[in-house]
Amino acid sequence: MGVKPNYQDILNKLYEIVTPFIDEDIDLELNENTELGPDLGLDSLKVMKLLLIVEDSFDVSIPLNILPDVRTIKDFAKQLEVLLQEEL
Amino acid sequence: MKDKVSMQVTPTNNTLKLRLADFSNLSEALDYAAKGVTGCNFYRRGRLSFVLPYKKLREDSISIAQRLCGLGLERGSRVALVADTDPDFLRFFFACQYAGLIPVPMPAFVNMGGHEAYVSQLNRLISICGASVAIAPKVFSSFLAEAVKTLTLAFTGTPSDFLELSESKEDLKPLDGSEPAYIQYTSGSTRFPRGAVISQASVISNLIEIGTYGLEIEQADRSVSWLPFYHDMGLVGFVLGPVAFQRSVDYLSTYDFAVRPRQWLTIISENRATLSISPPFGYELSARCIKEDDVASLDLSSWRCAGIGAEMIRAEKMEEFARIFAPCGFKKTAFVACYGMAECSLAVSFSALNRGLELDCIDADELSLENRAVPCDSAQKAGDCNIKTFIKCGKPLPQYEVEVRDSTGSVLPERHCGTLFLKSPSIMLGYFGDPETTAEILSPDGWLNTGDLAYLTPDGNIVITGRQKDIIIIKGRNIWPQDLEYLAQLQPEVRSGGVAAFSVPGPDGGEMAAMMVECRQPEKEKRHKIKERLKKMVFEEFGIDCVICLVSRNVLPRTTSGKLSRSEAQKRFLDRVGTTYLTKTDVDLYKQAI
Repeated sequence: MGVKPNYQDILNKLYEIVTPFIDEDIDLELNENTELGPDLGLDSLKVMKLLLIVEDSFDVSIPLNILPDVRTIKDFAKQLEVLLQEEL
Repeated sequence: MKDKVSMQVTPTNNTLKLRLADFSNLSEALDYAAKGVTGCNFYRRGRLSFVLPYKKLREDSISIAQRLCGLGLERGSRVALVADTDPDFLRFFFACQYAGLIPVPMPAFVNMGGHEAYVSQLNRLISICGASVAIAPKVFSSFLAEAVKTLTLAFTGTPSDFLELSESKEDLKPLDGSEPAYIQYTSGSTRFPRGAVISQASVISNLIEIGTYGLEIEQADRSVSWLPFYHDMGLVGFVLGPVAFQRSVDYLSTYDFAVRPRQWLTIISENRATLSISPPFGYELSARCIKEDDVASLDLSSWRCAGIGAEMIRAEKMEEFARIFAPCGFKKTAFVACYGMAECSLAVSFSALNRGLELDCIDADELSLENRAVPCDSAQKAGDCNIKTFIKCGKPLPQYEVEVRDSTGSVLPERHCGTLFLKSPSIMLGYFGDPETTAEILSPDGWLNTGDLAYLTPDGNIVITGRQKDIIIIKGRNIWPQDLEYLAQLQPEVRSGGVAAFSVPGPDGGEMAAMMVECRQPEKEKRHKIKERLKKMVFEEFGIDCVICLVSRNVLPRTTSGKLSRSEAQKRFLDRVGTTYLTKTDVDLYKQAI
């Protein structure tokens, strides 16, 4: 099927997915170095919700063992890039 | 494995005569179950991914046991198993039983960004039990390899690495009687973990009582579980129980459940399951995530025992679950309140089957002022007192002796609140390699101090009112305040002893962690930085949000002996801040008297 999305595409899509998760009263401009946990105030259940949306939007299965090395949006985008290449 | 089309779950009805754990040890329980047709089934992302009949489990386990014997380890050596929800965990767990080695389940859950925290946790757990062998599934193998770098083990690797070893021809001498069956790390402190050593006799005695009196297991029973295999309820309730009762069980991983909660109920519906237990948050999450179409497609009428355990139960939330799923045939009489702990193998009490949750309404003022649980349920009286409602956790299983004691150790009469003490053959031998901590809670005559506050009702029910220890429970997980405090004390700005962690009501009605931290930092900007850093560390280690409140030096409340009082700190925090922390991200009490 597919043209594999490049890093920038993935990043843009991630910004889009993550935005609704930001608390209204947190004044935050998302960038590559935004940390998903502490900066966005995501607890483990919100992380799961986020993973579900990411899995569905990219049509990819995210294995549990990549999470420990995902801190920032950049880390996440890079891991997704690898996963999406493996899938093709 | 390619041929998934033909894969079928193991049947619910067995060809064997039902035996409720009347075996002398766990390997004997599997020997018997292997004569039938039931077994366990693994689901992944909503689909059946692997079927393991007990017959096959036994063959695989024995073959692994022969290889374990080939390592020439001393009897009773420990085997650390990273306990992901997969067939290999069961194979290795039972292989240890046959080979005379003690399995020690290790957590298989990682938080986002928590690489170092997980590796050091594994390292601590493996060191404390002095494991000779450590096995992790492929997805966790790199973390395990890092964790054992500083340790010397006879073997470390994945199950497939292990299968390359050759089998020995030795006769297998399974663990038996007073020998340990496994070591269960309690859901206690991660920084200072304690491994409960459970003997064969203890776990078997608990399984007999669970099957006979707690759940009244029948031929038609089938279980579904997403509970982690490294927790007592997941391990004893849903791995050992099904084997000891020869019943089929369907698993999905905790991670899979957390991402797609609907699968839990879908499997119950499809396989006509009868037993499933979850902490309250599992029910709440399912109720929250369900869509109308899903409700129409589910049939939960077969679910006869919907057990609830592991944290305080809020009746309203359970009512809501029952209301949402009533159209699917869910009966609220299926709710069963369960009370137990790893130190007792698993179960202490179950509320009566087919009755639903039973409440005990008492006078809140009498409870807080006099430690007495005075019933307050008549309508005319209700106007005169503040009502507090607790869930009855059922009568203790028959072999338990139960006492509620006051702080001087005197046994209290019913409806008086104190510390719950238990005595039973199901109680652990002790904490592994830690006689001091063992002696603190387990007396020489076998009484266990549960650390829980409770009272007994005249009809013999146990009612848990709180925890004596200051544990914070978030989404069914115990977080120990000393672990949070430890992280804060790693900061150069924070003195040891200047931190108090405790729980506060969270925005979703559950608990939330909060920490008051003494530090000398007059600049607001820098204080903010410290808070950010701490929040991040807490998140990486525990995957939770934590309210951090910095205060100036020497203001935290202490007891007369100079020890920090978490409960007093919590009280002052709530008095000063109220619930404004729920809407504000920054609570600054610096320079304020607390």
